[in-house]
Amino acid sequence: MSRIIERVRQALNVQANDGRDRLVFAKSEEFINCAHATVTDEERGGWMESIRREAQALNLQVHECPDLDACGEAIAALARERDPEWGTLKRIVRWSDPLLDELGLEGRLGEDIPVTTVPMADSFGESERAEFRREVIASYIGITTADYLLADTASLVLLGGRGRARSVSLVPSIHVAVVPGSRMLGSYRQMLSRLNGQTLPSNVNIITGPSKTADIEATLVHGAHGPREMHLFVVAS
Amino acid sequence: MLNQDPLKYRELAAKAVEDKQLHRALAKMRDKVGRNAVNLYNQLSPGHDPRQDAKAVRRKIVDNLDVVLETLSANIRARGGHVHLAETGEDAVEYCLGVARRFEVSRVVKGKSMLSEEIHLNDALEAAGIETVETDLGEYIVQLKGEAPSHIIAPAIHYTREQVGELFAEKLDQPYTDDPPTLTAMARKALREKMLTADMGISGGNTACAETGHVTIVSNEGNIRMATTMPRVHVVLLGIEKIAATLEDHDILLRMLTRAAAGQKISTYVSYVGGPRLPDEPDGPEEFHLVLVDNGRSRILADPDFREVLHCVRCGGCLNVCPVYMAIGGHSYGSPYCGPIGAVFTPLTRGINTCHHLCQGETLCGACKQVCPVDNDLPRMLSLLRSKLADGDRRWDVRRQSLPTKLVFGAWSVIMRHRRMYDALSVMARFGQRLLPRKNGWIRRLPGPLGGWTRGRDFPPLAQESFADRWARRDKTGRGA
Ligand code: SF4
Repeated sequence: MSRIIERVRQALNVQANDGRDRLVFAKSEEFINCAHATVTDEERGGWMESIRREAQALNLQVHECPDLDACGEAIAALARERDPEWGTLKRIVRWSDPLLDELGLEGRLGEDIPVTTVPMADSFGESERAEFRREVIASYIGITTADYLLADTASLVLLGGRGRARSVSLVPSIHVAVVPGSRMLGSYRQMLSRLNGQTLPSNVNIITGPSKTADIEATLVHGAHGPREMHLFVVAS
Repeated sequence: MLNQDPLKYRELAAKAVEDKQLHRALAKMRDKVGRNAVNLYNQLSPGHDPRQDAKAVRRKIVDNLDVVLETLSANIRARGGHVHLAETGEDAVEYCLGVARRFEVSRVVKGKSMLSEEIHLNDALEAAGIETVETDLGEYIVQLKGEAPSHIIAPAIHYTREQVGELFAEKLDQPYTDDPPTLTAMARKALREKMLTADMGISGGNTACAETGHVTIVSNEGNIRMATTMPRVHVVLLGIEKIAATLEDHDILLRMLTRAAAGQKISTYVSYVGGPRLPDEPDGPEEFHLVLVDNGRSRILADPDFREVLHCVRCGGCLNVCPVYMAIGGHSYGSPYCGPIGAVFTPLTRGINTCHHLCQGETLCGACKQVCPVDNDLPRMLSLLRSKLADGDRRWDVRRQSLPTKLVFGAWSVIMRHRRMYDALSVMARFGQRLLPRKNGWIRRLPGPLGGWTRGRDFPPLAQESFADRWARRDKTGRGA
């Protein structure tokens, strides 16, 4: 056992764990149960309104789409309209996810704006990783989906893992996230409750709007080191 | 690093009190963030004080720290991360240098870590020939300036936009501007290059989740995500006390932290980082190291009177409401932990005698307790430190600070208890005070050892007739005198 833990035990005047872990890791009933709290359609409507309201202050642009086809079209239009922040070539990188496949972006944008999908493999060698890294750095738009959309703060919850590279929502200047409305949850607490008891991936990111800073005279500025623009597409069906 | 000496408190504070520009800069922080925090607490659950919930969670963790530390270490290791428990700052620094050497690191990018300031990590890295770049905009500004941060969460808050403009014009070779968006864009460009090419990322952590084996880091800028995603190795520095047990703990702690720190419901990025990339992930660090640092914390833990200070979540909220901080700025405290929290934490880790000015400088007005998201009773602990300085304390190796003070107060207490002595002395004093210099009716300078009291303020003269005499007169005439 480490010296420090021994010192901590001396400081606390305890001998060993002696069953305290049950107390320390105990959870409230209410927390466990809120994972699957049922919601009415009316509540859901209220959630969407809350997201719109929060997003405004965050400079997060919310687009509501009837289906994935309309969503794909809107994203393609956005891609044509925006200019890259670094360099002149337009490239897009996106998560590998069945939902994003259905946007049909590759077809819509053709050869003008190549779309790279995060590669899937059981393991990656050094050169493959370097290659992917170059790809992400060269992209002006990164597209992801999200596992949850939190109503009270307009936050996206991105669980990492296979096909869901961390840098896609971070390095490109524009982050686009596509989320079905059915993935809305009421609160941060409810999301934690859903994750409770699961083995979490090596990286979870909860993202609330584009990157910002207030370090110069407490003045709010968007676009510090992460994406300076962020678009949330909520898909109805 | 400059301004890192708590011994210079009086000198630095005296200078800062005169600094109008500093006050203008600090007032912005107070007005924008201080008030917001309290409003946001109230929104959480009307009628119920959520700070008490947060306090209960922090107490549970600190009181069972051994269990939480063991679980966290085991779970991080199970996820493929390395864990090192460092007894001292030097030990932690050595460990970081060792990792850097193994990876042949030539450039490190860092994200906001107070702990790395506490242990002087940047100096050690630079001395080892490793370029060390702060990536948080505020920290980048103070680093370019060759200074230390002056606020826990807004390190460059003591600068005005004009000063930042001049700094960037000089160091980044850019045309002068004082427009915050343009200045931010300049830093974005300069730092992106660094973040994409560094070999090692070092970050602090806001908390960790023992149960799942993750470190939790919040940021608004995204610099922390960059520093923890792009380099080949990620090292996290965390004080041993800054852990949470469960995801449920995270709920209240993170919500309170972001409200108190920046008046936000949630930060832009909340990241749960649990070890290196897995084989099927194309990005993320190859190695992940968690360094848990004691550096005097277990000693605080052992004293039930001060244990509460370890509940602190380092939100910086107490700074924004502290009249002393607002008057003297963060640098006067000579330590990365400034303001009321620093005035308690720094003496406890660096020596109560050495840092006595820090706890004696605060006003005990109680504003810090009121705003603290975990309801830390800093005023109580400040008083306790002062009483130890007055009486001496073996456990904390406190030498009685001033024998004359103690003697004067001892004598005063004897006089107060003996009526005749008191009366005789007050008659003498009433005559004696005629010889003292006055200004607007107040005494400018007291004689002898009492002179210290009037160095910074005037003293009210004794009335020509004592209250007791007046009262006696009133009794005789039956009317007020
Ligand atoms: S003492 Fe309280 S208010 Fe001050 S930094 Fe710590 S948690 Fe925040």
